[in-house]
Amino acid sequence: MTRHTRLVMSMIYWAFVLYIFVPLILMITMGFKDSKFIGFPIRSWTLDWYVEVFKDVEVLSAFGYSMLIGVSSTLISLAVGIWIAVLLNGRGFVGKGLIYGLTLLPALIPGIISAISFRIYAQLWGIPPGTGAIIWCHAVHNVPFVVLIVAARLSTLPKSHLDAARDLGADPIIAFMRITLPYLRPALIGGGVFCMLISFDDFVRSFFLGGYQPTLPVLIFAKLRSGMSPEINAIATVVLVLTGLLGIWAERTTRRMKQGKLQS
Amino acid sequence: MSGKVQTSAATLAGDLGAGNRSGGREGRSFWGAIAASQFYQAFSNALLSSPRRQFAILLAFPVLWVLTQHLGPMLQMFYVSFVDAYPVSRGYQNEFTLDNYARFFGSAIFIMPFFRTLAFAATLTLATLILTYPVAYFLARHVKRSNQMVFLLLLLIPFWVGEIVRTYAIMILLGNNGAVNLALKWLGLIDRPIPFMYTGFSLSVGIIYLSALYMLLPLYSALEKLPRSYTEAAADLGAGPWTRFWKVTLPLSLEGISSGATLVFLISTGYYATPVLLGGPSTTVFAETIAGFFHTAGDEWPTGAAFACLMFVTALAISLAFGRLMTRLQKGVRK
Repeated sequence: MTRHTRLVMSMIYWAFVLYIFVPLILMITMGFKDSKFIGFPIRSWTLDWYVEVFKDVEVLSAFGYSMLIGVSSTLISLAVGIWIAVLLNGRGFVGKGLIYGLTLLPALIPGIISAISFRIYAQLWGIPPGTGAIIWCHAVHNVPFVVLIVAARLSTLPKSHLDAARDLGADPIIAFMRITLPYLRPALIGGGVFCMLISFDDFVRSFFLGGYQPTLPVLIFAKLRSGMSPEINAIATVVLVLTGLLGIWAERTTRRMKQGKLQS
Repeated sequence: MSGKVQTSAATLAGDLGAGNRSGGREGRSFWGAIAASQFYQAFSNALLSSPRRQFAILLAFPVLWVLTQHLGPMLQMFYVSFVDAYPVSRGYQNEFTLDNYARFFGSAIFIMPFFRTLAFAATLTLATLILTYPVAYFLARHVKRSNQMVFLLLLLIPFWVGEIVRTYAIMILLGNNGAVNLALKWLGLIDRPIPFMYTGFSLSVGIIYLSALYMLLPLYSALEKLPRSYTEAAADLGAGPWTRFWKVTLPLSLEGISSGATLVFLISTGYYATPVLLGGPSTTVFAETIAGFFHTAGDEWPTGAAFACLMFVTALAISLAFGRLMTRLQKGVRK
Protein backbone atom coordinates (compact mmCIF):
# COMPACT_ATOMS: atom_id res chain seq x y z
CA MET A 1 0.00 0.00 0.00
CA THR A 2 1.18 3.46 -0.73
CA ARG A 3 1.86 6.05 1.91
CA HIS A 4 -1.15 7.99 0.69
CA THR A 5 -3.71 5.24 1.40
CA ARG A 6 -2.07 4.60 4.74
CA LEU A 7 -2.64 8.21 5.71
CA VAL A 8 -6.28 8.10 4.63
CA MET A 9 -6.82 4.87 6.56
CA SER A 10 -5.31 6.25 9.74
CA MET A 11 -7.49 9.34 9.42
CA ILE A 12 -10.56 7.12 9.15
CA TYR A 13 -9.45 5.26 12.26
CA TRP A 14 -9.02 8.44 14.27
CA ALA A 15 -12.33 9.79 12.98
CA PHE A 16 -13.93 6.59 14.27
CA VAL A 17 -12.22 7.02 17.63
CA LEU A 18 -13.68 10.54 17.77
CA TYR A 19 -17.15 9.20 16.90
CA ILE A 20 -16.86 6.72 19.76
CA PHE A 21 -15.45 9.13 22.32
CA VAL A 22 -16.96 12.56 21.59
CA PRO A 23 -20.50 11.73 22.78
CA LEU A 24 -19.13 10.29 26.01
CA ILE A 25 -16.80 13.24 26.59
CA LEU A 26 -19.66 15.67 26.01
CA MET A 27 -21.78 13.74 28.45
CA ILE A 28 -19.05 13.84 31.09
CA THR A 29 -18.52 17.57 30.55
CA MET A 30 -22.23 18.27 30.97
CA GLY A 31 -22.14 16.68 34.41
CA PHE A 32 -20.07 19.64 35.62
CA LYS A 33 -22.46 22.29 34.34
CA ASP A 34 -23.80 24.70 36.93
CA SER A 35 -27.39 24.78 35.71
CA LYS A 36 -30.37 22.49 35.66
CA PHE A 37 -30.71 22.98 31.93
CA ILE A 38 -28.98 20.44 29.68
CA GLY A 39 -27.35 21.95 26.62
CA PHE A 40 -24.47 24.04 25.40
CA PRO A 41 -22.83 26.46 25.97
CA ILE A 42 -21.61 25.85 29.52
CA ARG A 43 -20.96 29.14 31.35
CA SER A 44 -20.11 28.09 34.88
CA TRP A 45 -18.92 24.86 36.42
CA THR A 46 -19.73 22.92 39.57
CA LEU A 47 -19.18 19.63 41.36
CA ASP A 48 -22.57 19.78 43.06
CA TRP A 49 -24.14 17.11 40.87
CA TYR A 50 -21.59 14.59 42.05
CA VAL A 51 -22.24 15.49 45.68
CA GLU A 52 -25.92 15.08 44.88
CA VAL A 53 -25.35 11.58 43.46
CA PHE A 54 -23.54 10.35 46.54
CA LYS A 55 -26.33 11.73 48.75
CA ASP A 56 -29.15 10.29 46.63
CA VAL A 57 -30.37 7.18 48.47
CA GLU A 58 -32.37 6.02 45.47
CA VAL A 59 -29.28 6.01 43.23
CA LEU A 60 -27.06 4.38 45.84
CA SER A 61 -29.52 1.60 46.56
CA ALA A 62 -30.03 0.99 42.82
CA PHE A 63 -26.27 0.77 42.46
CA GLY A 64 -26.02 -1.76 45.28
CA TYR A 65 -28.94 -3.72 43.85
CA SER A 66 -27.28 -3.89 40.42
CA MET A 67 -24.04 -5.05 42.06
CA LEU A 68 -25.88 -7.78 43.97
CA ILE A 69 -27.56 -9.00 40.78
CA GLY A 70 -24.30 -8.81 38.84
CA VAL A 71 -22.27 -10.80 41.36
CA SER A 72 -24.92 -13.48 41.96
CA SER A 73 -25.70 -14.04 38.30
CA THR A 74 -21.99 -14.13 37.43
CA LEU A 75 -21.32 -16.87 40.00
CA ILE A 76 -24.11 -19.00 38.54
CA SER A 77 -22.96 -18.38 34.95
CA LEU A 78 -19.39 -19.32 35.85
CA ALA A 79 -20.38 -22.59 37.53
CA VAL A 80 -22.67 -23.66 34.69
CA GLY A 81 -20.36 -22.35 31.98
CA ILE A 82 -17.34 -24.26 33.28
CA TRP A 83 -19.32 -27.47 33.42
CA ILE A 84 -20.57 -27.10 29.84
CA ALA A 85 -17.11 -26.08 28.59
CA VAL A 86 -15.51 -29.16 30.17
CA LEU A 87 -18.12 -31.36 28.51
CA LEU A 88 -17.73 -29.74 25.08
CA ASN A 89 -13.97 -29.84 25.32
CA GLY A 90 -13.93 -33.56 26.07
CA ARG A 91 -14.58 -36.61 23.93
CA GLY A 92 -17.11 -36.64 21.11
CA PHE A 93 -20.64 -37.95 21.55
CA VAL A 94 -23.86 -38.08 19.57
CA GLY A 95 -25.52 -34.68 19.62
CA LYS A 96 -22.45 -32.71 20.65
CA GLY A 97 -23.00 -30.22 17.84
CA LEU A 98 -26.58 -29.73 18.95
CA ILE A 99 -25.56 -29.10 22.56
CA TYR A 100 -22.97 -26.60 21.32
CA GLY A 101 -25.56 -24.79 19.23
CA LEU A 102 -28.07 -24.68 22.08
CA THR A 103 -25.35 -23.42 24.41
CA LEU A 104 -24.79 -20.38 22.19
CA LEU A 105 -28.49 -19.73 21.62
CA PRO A 106 -29.08 -17.13 24.40
CA ALA A 107 -26.31 -14.94 22.97
CA LEU A 108 -28.05 -14.78 19.60
CA ILE A 109 -31.62 -14.04 20.67
CA PRO A 110 -32.42 -10.31 20.25
CA GLY A 111 -32.72 -8.54 23.62
CA ILE A 112 -36.43 -7.82 23.68
CA ILE A 113 -37.36 -11.36 22.62
CA SER A 114 -35.06 -12.86 25.24
CA ALA A 115 -36.58 -10.62 27.91
CA ILE A 116 -40.20 -11.44 27.19
CA SER A 117 -39.58 -15.15 26.67
CA PHE A 118 -38.12 -15.18 30.17
CA ARG A 119 -41.04 -13.19 31.48
CA ILE A 120 -43.38 -15.89 30.16
CA TYR A 121 -41.11 -18.70 31.35
CA ALA A 122 -40.87 -17.22 34.84
CA GLN A 123 -44.67 -17.26 34.96
CA LEU A 124 -44.64 -20.97 34.06
CA TRP A 125 -42.35 -21.77 36.98
CA GLY A 126 -44.19 -19.46 39.30
CA ILE A 127 -41.22 -17.15 39.80
CA PRO A 128 -42.51 -13.66 40.63
CA PRO A 129 -40.86 -10.67 38.91
CA GLY A 130 -38.05 -9.37 41.08
CA THR A 131 -34.54 -10.10 42.24
CA GLY A 132 -34.62 -13.87 41.70
CA ALA A 133 -36.06 -13.60 38.22
CA ILE A 134 -33.48 -11.00 37.12
CA ILE A 135 -30.53 -12.97 38.52
CA TRP A 136 -31.76 -16.12 36.82
CA CYS A 137 -32.31 -14.44 33.44
CA HIS A 138 -28.91 -12.68 33.53
CA ALA A 139 -27.21 -15.93 34.51
CA VAL A 140 -28.70 -17.84 31.58
CA HIS A 141 -27.93 -15.04 29.15
CA ASN A 142 -24.25 -14.96 30.19
CA VAL A 143 -23.56 -18.70 30.08
CA PRO A 144 -22.56 -18.72 26.35
CA PHE A 145 -19.87 -16.09 26.94
CA VAL A 146 -18.37 -18.04 29.85
CA VAL A 147 -18.39 -21.24 27.78
CA LEU A 148 -16.58 -19.56 24.87
CA ILE A 149 -13.90 -17.97 27.06
CA VAL A 150 -13.36 -21.03 29.27
CA ALA A 151 -13.32 -23.46 26.33
CA ALA A 152 -10.64 -21.35 24.64
CA ARG A 153 -8.43 -21.62 27.72
CA LEU A 154 -9.27 -25.26 28.31
CA SER A 155 -8.13 -26.26 24.82
CA THR A 156 -4.60 -25.12 25.73
CA LEU A 157 -4.41 -27.30 28.87
CA PRO A 158 -1.92 -30.10 28.10
CA LYS A 159 -3.68 -33.45 28.35
CA SER A 160 -0.62 -34.91 30.04
CA HIS A 161 -1.36 -32.87 33.19
CA LEU A 162 -4.70 -34.56 33.72
CA ASP A 163 -3.33 -37.96 32.72
CA ALA A 164 -0.55 -37.62 35.26
CA ALA A 165 -3.03 -36.66 37.97
CA ARG A 166 -5.16 -39.69 37.14
CA ASP A 167 -2.12 -41.98 37.17
CA LEU A 168 -1.33 -40.70 40.61
CA GLY A 169 -4.71 -41.78 41.84
CA ALA A 170 -6.83 -38.64 41.62
CA ASP A 171 -10.40 -39.25 40.56
CA PRO A 172 -11.95 -36.87 37.95
CA ILE A 173 -13.35 -34.48 40.55
CA ILE A 174 -10.10 -34.14 42.47
CA ALA A 175 -8.16 -33.81 39.20
CA PHE A 176 -10.58 -31.08 38.10
CA MET A 177 -10.27 -29.19 41.37
CA ARG A 178 -6.49 -29.37 41.57
CA ILE A 179 -5.42 -29.21 37.92
CA THR A 180 -8.15 -27.81 35.67
CA LEU A 181 -9.65 -25.16 37.92
CA PRO A 182 -6.33 -23.45 38.85
CA TYR A 183 -5.34 -23.52 35.20
CA LEU A 184 -8.60 -21.79 34.24
CA ARG A 185 -8.08 -18.90 36.66
CA PRO A 186 -7.33 -16.15 34.11
CA ALA A 187 -10.28 -17.23 31.95
CA LEU A 188 -12.51 -17.15 35.01
CA ILE A 189 -11.39 -13.64 35.92
CA GLY A 190 -11.86 -12.40 32.35
CA GLY A 191 -15.15 -14.19 31.83
CA GLY A 192 -16.42 -13.23 35.27
CA VAL A 193 -15.78 -9.52 34.79
CA PHE A 194 -17.32 -9.72 31.33
CA CYS A 195 -20.49 -11.24 32.81
CA MET A 196 -20.52 -8.67 35.61
CA LEU A 197 -20.39 -5.83 33.10
CA ILE A 198 -23.10 -7.28 30.85
CA SER A 199 -25.35 -7.86 33.84
CA PHE A 200 -24.64 -4.46 35.38
CA ASP A 201 -25.36 -2.68 32.10
CA ASP A 202 -28.37 -4.72 31.10
CA PHE A 203 -31.57 -2.79 30.74
CA VAL A 204 -34.14 -4.74 28.80
CA ARG A 205 -34.07 -7.97 30.87
CA SER A 206 -34.07 -6.12 34.20
CA PHE A 207 -36.90 -3.91 32.94
CA PHE A 208 -39.23 -6.77 32.04
CA LEU A 209 -38.33 -9.12 34.89
CA GLY A 210 -37.90 -6.54 37.63
CA GLY A 211 -40.21 -5.86 40.52
CA TYR A 212 -40.60 -2.52 42.25
CA GLN A 213 -36.93 -2.02 43.00
CA PRO A 214 -35.08 -0.63 39.96
CA THR A 215 -31.59 -1.64 38.88
CA LEU A 216 -29.32 1.29 38.03
CA PRO A 217 -29.96 1.25 34.24
CA VAL A 218 -33.70 0.98 34.87
CA LEU A 219 -33.50 3.93 37.28
CA ILE A 220 -31.54 6.03 34.76
CA PHE A 221 -34.09 5.14 32.08
CA ALA A 222 -36.95 6.23 34.32
CA LYS A 223 -35.16 9.50 35.14
CA LEU A 224 -34.48 10.12 31.43
CA ARG A 225 -38.12 9.66 30.54
CA SER A 226 -39.09 12.35 33.02
CA GLY A 227 -36.47 14.77 31.66
CA MET A 228 -32.74 15.23 31.31
CA SER A 229 -30.74 16.58 34.22
CA PRO A 230 -27.02 17.01 34.96
CA GLU A 231 -27.47 14.59 37.82
CA ILE A 232 -27.98 11.81 35.27
CA ASN A 233 -24.71 12.86 33.66
CA ALA A 234 -22.94 12.54 36.97
CA ILE A 235 -24.43 9.07 37.58
CA ALA A 236 -23.56 7.98 34.05
CA THR A 237 -20.01 9.28 34.43
CA VAL A 238 -19.45 7.33 37.63
CA VAL A 239 -20.80 4.20 35.92
CA LEU A 240 -18.62 4.85 32.88
CA VAL A 241 -15.43 5.22 34.91
CA LEU A 242 -16.12 2.12 37.00
CA THR A 243 -17.07 -0.14 34.09
CA GLY A 244 -14.22 1.20 31.97
CA LEU A 245 -11.63 0.41 34.64
CA LEU A 246 -13.06 -3.04 35.30
CA GLY A 247 -13.18 -3.76 31.57
CA ILE A 248 -9.55 -2.74 31.05
CA TRP A 249 -8.45 -4.91 33.96
CA ALA A 250 -10.30 -7.96 32.60
CA GLU A 251 -9.04 -7.32 29.09
CA ARG A 252 -5.46 -7.23 30.37
CA THR A 253 -5.96 -10.47 32.28
CA THR A 254 -7.36 -12.32 29.28
CA ARG A 255 -4.68 -10.90 27.00
CA ARG A 256 -1.94 -12.06 29.32
CA MET A 257 -3.60 -15.44 29.35
CA LYS A 258 -3.41 -15.57 25.55
CA GLN A 259 0.28 -14.71 25.68
CA GLY A 260 0.74 -17.52 28.19
CA LYS A 261 2.17 -15.33 30.95
CA LEU A 262 -0.32 -16.54 33.50
CA GLN A 263 0.46 -20.22 33.48
CA SER A 264 -0.38 -21.80 36.76
CA MET B 1 8.26 -33.76 24.41
CA SER B 2 8.54 -36.82 26.60
CA GLY B 3 10.99 -35.00 28.86
CA LYS B 4 8.46 -32.22 29.31
CA VAL B 5 5.73 -34.68 30.20
CA GLN B 6 8.01 -36.33 32.71
CA THR B 7 8.86 -33.10 34.47
CA SER B 8 5.25 -32.01 34.69
CA ALA B 9 4.31 -35.47 35.96
CA ALA B 10 7.05 -35.18 38.57
CA THR B 11 5.78 -31.79 39.76
CA LEU B 12 2.29 -33.15 39.89
CA ALA B 13 3.44 -36.14 41.90
CA GLY B 14 4.91 -33.71 44.39
CA ASP B 15 1.77 -31.59 44.44
CA LEU B 16 -0.68 -34.41 44.73
CA GLY B 17 1.25 -36.61 47.08
CA ALA B 18 2.60 -34.35 49.77
CA GLY B 19 0.67 -31.12 49.51
CA ASN B 20 2.37 -29.46 52.46
CA ARG B 21 5.85 -30.03 51.09
CA SER B 22 5.83 -27.43 48.34
CA GLY B 23 5.89 -24.25 50.40
CA GLY B 24 2.39 -24.14 51.89
CA ARG B 25 0.39 -22.82 48.92
CA GLU B 26 -3.07 -23.03 50.34
CA GLY B 27 -5.68 -25.42 48.99
CA ARG B 28 -3.36 -28.26 48.19
CA SER B 29 -3.50 -30.16 51.42
CA PHE B 30 -7.16 -29.29 51.64
CA TRP B 31 -8.02 -31.30 48.53
CA GLY B 32 -5.65 -34.01 49.59
CA ALA B 33 -7.52 -34.32 52.89
CA ILE B 34 -10.87 -34.35 51.10
CA ALA B 35 -9.71 -37.09 48.75
CA ALA B 36 -8.47 -39.17 51.66
CA SER B 37 -11.60 -38.83 53.77
CA GLN B 38 -13.81 -41.86 54.08
CA PHE B 39 -16.92 -39.98 53.22
CA TYR B 40 -15.48 -38.74 49.96
CA GLN B 41 -14.14 -42.17 49.06
CA ALA B 42 -17.56 -43.70 49.50
CA PHE B 43 -19.05 -40.95 47.38
CA SER B 44 -16.40 -41.40 44.72
CA ASN B 45 -16.76 -45.18 44.63
CA ALA B 46 -20.50 -44.93 44.30
CA LEU B 47 -20.62 -42.25 41.60
CA LEU B 48 -17.39 -42.41 39.66
CA SER B 49 -16.79 -46.15 39.56
CA SER B 50 -16.67 -46.52 35.77
CA PRO B 51 -15.72 -44.13 32.95
CA ARG B 52 -19.19 -44.57 31.53
CA ARG B 53 -20.77 -43.44 34.78
CA GLN B 54 -18.39 -40.49 35.01
CA PHE B 55 -19.32 -39.38 31.53
CA ALA B 56 -23.03 -39.76 32.24
CA ILE B 57 -22.68 -37.42 35.22
CA LEU B 58 -20.64 -34.95 33.20
CA LEU B 59 -23.24 -35.02 30.43
CA ALA B 60 -26.46 -34.96 32.43
CA PHE B 61 -26.34 -31.45 33.87
CA PRO B 62 -25.38 -29.53 30.70
CA VAL B 63 -28.01 -31.34 28.65
CA LEU B 64 -30.63 -30.61 31.27
CA TRP B 65 -29.51 -26.98 31.53
CA VAL B 66 -29.51 -26.13 27.83
CA LEU B 67 -32.84 -27.86 27.27
CA THR B 68 -34.65 -26.27 30.19
CA GLN B 69 -32.90 -22.89 30.35
CA HIS B 70 -31.78 -22.11 26.82
CA LEU B 71 -34.44 -23.82 24.73
CA GLY B 72 -37.24 -23.89 27.30
CA PRO B 73 -38.11 -20.17 27.31
CA MET B 74 -38.30 -20.09 23.51
CA LEU B 75 -40.49 -23.21 23.37
CA GLN B 76 -42.79 -21.88 26.05
CA MET B 77 -43.09 -18.56 24.20
CA PHE B 78 -43.91 -20.50 21.04
CA TYR B 79 -46.58 -22.46 22.89
CA VAL B 80 -48.10 -19.36 24.46
CA SER B 81 -48.36 -17.73 21.04
CA PHE B 82 -50.94 -20.36 20.09
CA VAL B 83 -53.29 -20.10 23.07
CA ASP B 84 -56.10 -17.68 23.74
CA ALA B 85 -55.21 -16.71 27.30
CA TYR B 86 -52.01 -16.64 29.32
CA PRO B 87 -51.38 -16.59 32.24
CA VAL B 88 -54.60 -18.51 32.74
CA SER B 89 -56.97 -17.57 35.50
CA ARG B 90 -58.03 -20.31 37.90
CA GLY B 91 -60.37 -22.92 36.47
CA TYR B 92 -60.05 -21.71 32.89
CA GLN B 93 -58.80 -24.11 30.27
CA ASN B 94 -57.04 -22.21 27.52
CA GLU B 95 -57.66 -23.18 23.94
CA PHE B 96 -55.61 -23.46 20.79
CA THR B 97 -56.00 -20.49 18.48
CA LEU B 98 -54.36 -18.77 15.53
CA ASP B 99 -55.94 -15.41 16.35
CA ASN B 100 -52.69 -14.01 17.75
CA TYR B 101 -51.00 -14.38 14.40
CA ALA B 102 -54.10 -13.30 12.49
CA ARG B 103 -54.09 -10.10 14.53
CA PHE B 104 -50.69 -9.20 13.14
CA PHE B 105 -51.67 -9.58 9.51
CA GLY B 106 -54.92 -7.72 10.06
CA SER B 107 -53.52 -4.33 10.93
CA ALA B 108 -51.08 -1.87 9.43
CA ILE B 109 -50.26 -0.60 12.94
CA PHE B 110 -48.41 -3.87 13.45
CA ILE B 111 -47.16 -4.64 9.93
CA MET B 112 -45.53 -1.23 9.46
CA PRO B 113 -43.21 -1.38 12.50
CA PHE B 114 -42.36 -4.97 11.60
CA PHE B 115 -41.04 -4.15 8.15
CA ARG B 116 -39.60 -0.87 9.37
CA THR B 117 -37.55 -2.79 11.92
CA LEU B 118 -36.25 -5.27 9.35
CA ALA B 119 -35.43 -2.55 6.80
CA PHE B 120 -33.82 -0.47 9.54
CA ALA B 121 -31.74 -3.36 10.82
CA ALA B 122 -30.60 -4.29 7.31
CA THR B 123 -29.67 -0.71 6.39
CA LEU B 124 -27.85 -0.13 9.64
CA THR B 125 -25.96 -3.40 9.25
CA LEU B 126 -24.74 -2.27 5.84
CA ALA B 127 -23.88 1.20 7.17
CA THR B 128 -21.98 -0.30 10.10
CA LEU B 129 -20.07 -2.57 7.73
CA ILE B 130 -19.03 0.32 5.48
CA LEU B 131 -18.09 2.43 8.49
CA THR B 132 -16.05 -0.18 10.36
CA TYR B 133 -14.38 -2.01 7.48
CA PRO B 134 -11.67 0.63 6.94
CA VAL B 135 -11.13 0.83 10.68
CA ALA B 136 -10.68 -2.94 10.97
CA TYR B 137 -8.47 -2.95 7.89
CA PHE B 138 -6.28 -0.21 9.28
CA LEU B 139 -5.96 -2.01 12.61
CA ALA B 140 -5.15 -5.38 11.10
CA ARG B 141 -2.88 -4.35 8.27
CA HIS B 142 -1.31 -0.97 9.04
CA VAL B 143 -0.76 -0.96 12.78
CA LYS B 144 2.30 -2.72 14.12
CA ARG B 145 1.33 -6.04 15.66
CA SER B 146 2.64 -5.06 19.09
CA ASN B 147 0.47 -1.92 19.05
CA GLN B 148 -2.68 -3.54 17.73
CA MET B 149 -4.08 -4.44 21.14
CA VAL B 150 -3.65 -0.87 22.40
CA PHE B 151 -5.40 0.56 19.35
CA LEU B 152 -8.18 -1.99 19.70
CA LEU B 153 -8.53 -1.46 23.44
CA LEU B 154 -9.01 2.25 22.83
CA LEU B 155 -12.15 1.39 20.87
CA LEU B 156 -13.27 -1.29 23.33
CA ILE B 157 -13.39 0.82 26.49
CA PRO B 158 -16.54 2.80 25.59
CA PHE B 159 -18.29 -0.42 24.66
CA TRP B 160 -18.10 -1.64 28.22
CA VAL B 161 -20.56 1.11 29.10
CA GLY B 162 -24.16 0.06 28.87
CA GLU B 163 -26.92 0.72 26.38
CA ILE B 164 -28.67 3.38 28.45
CA VAL B 165 -25.59 5.49 29.18
CA ARG B 166 -24.45 5.48 25.56
CA THR B 167 -27.96 6.29 24.34
CA TYR B 168 -27.99 9.23 26.71
CA ALA B 169 -24.65 10.39 25.31
CA ILE B 170 -26.20 10.45 21.83
CA MET B 171 -29.14 12.48 23.18
CA ILE B 172 -26.72 15.13 24.40
CA LEU B 173 -24.85 15.10 21.10
CA LEU B 174 -27.90 15.54 18.89
CA GLY B 175 -30.32 17.55 21.04
CA ASN B 176 -31.59 20.98 19.99
CA ASN B 177 -29.03 22.48 22.33
CA GLY B 178 -26.65 19.66 21.59
CA ALA B 179 -23.07 19.81 20.48
CA VAL B 180 -23.76 19.29 16.77
CA ASN B 181 -26.32 22.07 16.57
CA LEU B 182 -24.10 24.37 18.59
CA ALA B 183 -21.16 23.72 16.28
CA LEU B 184 -23.28 24.31 13.15
CA LYS B 185 -24.65 27.54 14.60
CA TRP B 186 -21.18 28.70 15.56
CA LEU B 187 -19.98 28.03 12.03
CA GLY B 188 -22.86 30.15 10.77
CA LEU B 189 -24.40 27.33 8.74
CA ILE B 190 -27.78 27.43 10.48
CA ASP B 191 -29.88 30.01 12.33
CA ARG B 192 -32.16 27.77 14.30
CA PRO B 193 -31.31 24.26 15.51
CA ILE B 194 -32.00 21.30 13.24
CA PRO B 195 -34.34 18.87 15.03
CA PHE B 196 -32.20 15.73 14.84
CA MET B 197 -33.77 14.08 17.85
CA TYR B 198 -36.75 11.70 17.72
CA THR B 199 -36.18 10.93 14.05
CA GLY B 200 -34.87 8.00 12.06
CA PHE B 201 -31.56 9.82 11.91
CA SER B 202 -30.99 10.03 15.66
CA LEU B 203 -32.09 6.42 16.06
CA SER B 204 -29.65 5.29 13.34
CA VAL B 205 -26.75 7.18 14.90
CA GLY B 206 -27.62 5.62 18.24
CA ILE B 207 -27.89 2.04 17.00
CA ILE B 208 -24.71 2.22 14.93
CA TYR B 209 -23.00 3.67 17.98
CA LEU B 210 -24.19 0.74 20.07
CA SER B 211 -23.45 -2.10 17.69
CA ALA B 212 -20.32 -1.05 15.77
CA LEU B 213 -18.14 -3.25 17.95
CA TYR B 214 -19.99 -6.44 17.00
CA MET B 215 -19.01 -5.73 13.41
CA LEU B 216 -15.52 -4.47 14.11
CA LEU B 217 -14.24 -7.48 16.06
CA PRO B 218 -15.13 -10.26 13.56
CA LEU B 219 -13.83 -8.10 10.69
CA TYR B 220 -10.61 -7.46 12.54
CA SER B 221 -9.98 -11.12 13.32
CA ALA B 222 -10.72 -12.14 9.70
CA LEU B 223 -8.41 -9.47 8.28
CA GLU B 224 -5.69 -10.17 10.82
CA LYS B 225 -5.54 -13.82 9.70
CA LEU B 226 -5.12 -12.84 6.04
CA PRO B 227 -1.44 -13.26 5.12
CA ARG B 228 0.20 -10.13 3.76
CA SER B 229 1.97 -12.21 1.14
CA TYR B 230 -1.35 -12.64 -0.72
CA THR B 231 -1.76 -8.96 -1.49
CA GLU B 232 1.96 -8.63 -2.14
CA ALA B 233 1.77 -11.47 -4.66
CA ALA B 234 -1.20 -9.76 -6.33
CA ALA B 235 0.79 -6.53 -6.47
CA ASP B 236 3.76 -8.34 -8.04
CA LEU B 237 1.42 -9.71 -10.68
CA GLY B 238 0.46 -6.15 -11.54
CA ALA B 239 -2.83 -5.67 -9.68
CA GLY B 240 -3.58 -2.08 -8.63
CA PRO B 241 -4.88 -1.19 -5.14
CA TRP B 242 -8.53 -1.47 -6.15
CA THR B 243 -8.11 -4.78 -7.92
CA ARG B 244 -6.20 -6.10 -4.92
CA PHE B 245 -9.02 -5.05 -2.65
CA TRP B 246 -11.85 -6.44 -4.78
CA LYS B 247 -10.12 -9.64 -5.84
CA VAL B 248 -8.08 -10.57 -2.79
CA THR B 249 -8.83 -8.76 0.46
CA LEU B 250 -12.61 -8.49 0.27
CA PRO B 251 -13.31 -12.09 -0.85
CA LEU B 252 -11.01 -13.45 1.84
CA SER B 253 -12.66 -11.41 4.59
CA LEU B 254 -16.16 -12.66 3.73
CA GLU B 255 -16.16 -14.87 6.80
CA GLY B 256 -15.74 -11.86 9.07
CA ILE B 257 -18.35 -9.88 7.16
CA SER B 258 -20.77 -12.77 7.45
CA SER B 259 -20.50 -13.25 11.21
CA GLY B 260 -20.32 -9.51 11.93
CA ALA B 261 -23.37 -8.75 9.82
CA THR B 262 -25.38 -11.58 11.37
CA LEU B 263 -24.57 -10.37 14.87
CA VAL B 264 -25.35 -6.73 14.18
CA PHE B 265 -28.56 -7.59 12.36
CA LEU B 266 -29.90 -9.83 15.11
CA ILE B 267 -28.85 -7.51 17.90
CA SER B 268 -30.24 -4.37 16.29
CA THR B 269 -33.69 -5.91 15.88
CA GLY B 270 -33.76 -6.39 19.65
CA TYR B 271 -33.05 -2.89 20.97
CA TYR B 272 -35.84 -1.55 23.07
CA ALA B 273 -34.63 1.34 25.23
CA THR B 274 -32.77 3.10 22.42
CA PRO B 275 -35.79 3.45 20.11
CA VAL B 276 -37.90 4.59 23.07
CA LEU B 277 -35.40 7.30 23.99
CA LEU B 278 -34.07 8.36 20.58
CA GLY B 279 -36.97 7.61 18.27
CA GLY B 280 -40.30 9.34 17.74
CA PRO B 281 -43.81 8.38 16.65
CA SER B 282 -42.68 7.95 13.05
CA THR B 283 -39.93 5.47 13.97
CA THR B 284 -41.82 3.00 16.17
CA VAL B 285 -39.95 -0.29 15.95
CA PHE B 286 -41.36 -3.75 16.49
CA ALA B 287 -39.64 -4.14 19.85
CA GLU B 288 -41.85 -1.33 21.16
CA THR B 289 -44.93 -3.00 19.67
CA ILE B 290 -44.07 -6.30 21.38
CA ALA B 291 -43.27 -4.58 24.67
CA GLY B 292 -46.66 -2.85 24.58
CA PHE B 293 -48.44 -6.17 25.09
CA PHE B 294 -46.50 -6.85 28.26
CA HIS B 295 -47.10 -3.55 30.00
CA THR B 296 -50.82 -4.12 30.19
CA ALA B 297 -52.78 -6.88 31.86
CA GLY B 298 -51.88 -10.50 31.23
CA ASP B 299 -54.48 -11.28 28.60
CA GLU B 300 -52.38 -9.61 25.90
CA TRP B 301 -49.38 -11.86 26.45
CA PRO B 302 -50.22 -14.47 23.80
CA THR B 303 -50.36 -11.75 21.14
CA GLY B 304 -47.00 -10.40 22.32
CA ALA B 305 -45.56 -13.90 22.24
CA ALA B 306 -46.87 -14.47 18.70
CA PHE B 307 -45.35 -11.18 17.55
CA ALA B 308 -42.02 -12.03 19.16
CA CYS B 309 -42.03 -15.43 17.44
CA LEU B 310 -42.73 -13.79 14.09
CA MET B 311 -39.89 -11.35 14.62
CA PHE B 312 -37.41 -13.97 15.75
CA VAL B 313 -38.22 -16.48 13.02
CA THR B 314 -38.03 -13.82 10.30
CA ALA B 315 -34.78 -12.33 11.59
CA LEU B 316 -33.25 -15.79 11.96
CA ALA B 317 -34.38 -16.82 8.47
CA ILE B 318 -32.85 -13.68 6.96
CA SER B 319 -29.59 -14.25 8.85
CA LEU B 320 -29.42 -17.89 7.77
CA ALA B 321 -30.14 -17.03 4.14
CA PHE B 322 -27.48 -14.36 4.29
CA GLY B 323 -25.01 -16.76 5.89
CA ARG B 324 -25.67 -19.32 3.16
CA LEU B 325 -25.14 -16.73 0.46
CA MET B 326 -21.84 -15.80 2.06
CA THR B 327 -20.67 -19.43 2.25
CA ARG B 328 -21.57 -19.87 -1.39
CA LEU B 329 -19.58 -16.76 -2.28
CA GLN B 330 -16.66 -18.05 -0.22
CA LYS B 331 -16.74 -21.39 -2.02
CA GLY B 332 -16.70 -19.52 -5.30
CA VAL B 333 -13.57 -17.74 -4.09
CA ARG B 334 -11.81 -20.96 -3.13
CA LYS B 335 -12.30 -22.61 -6.53
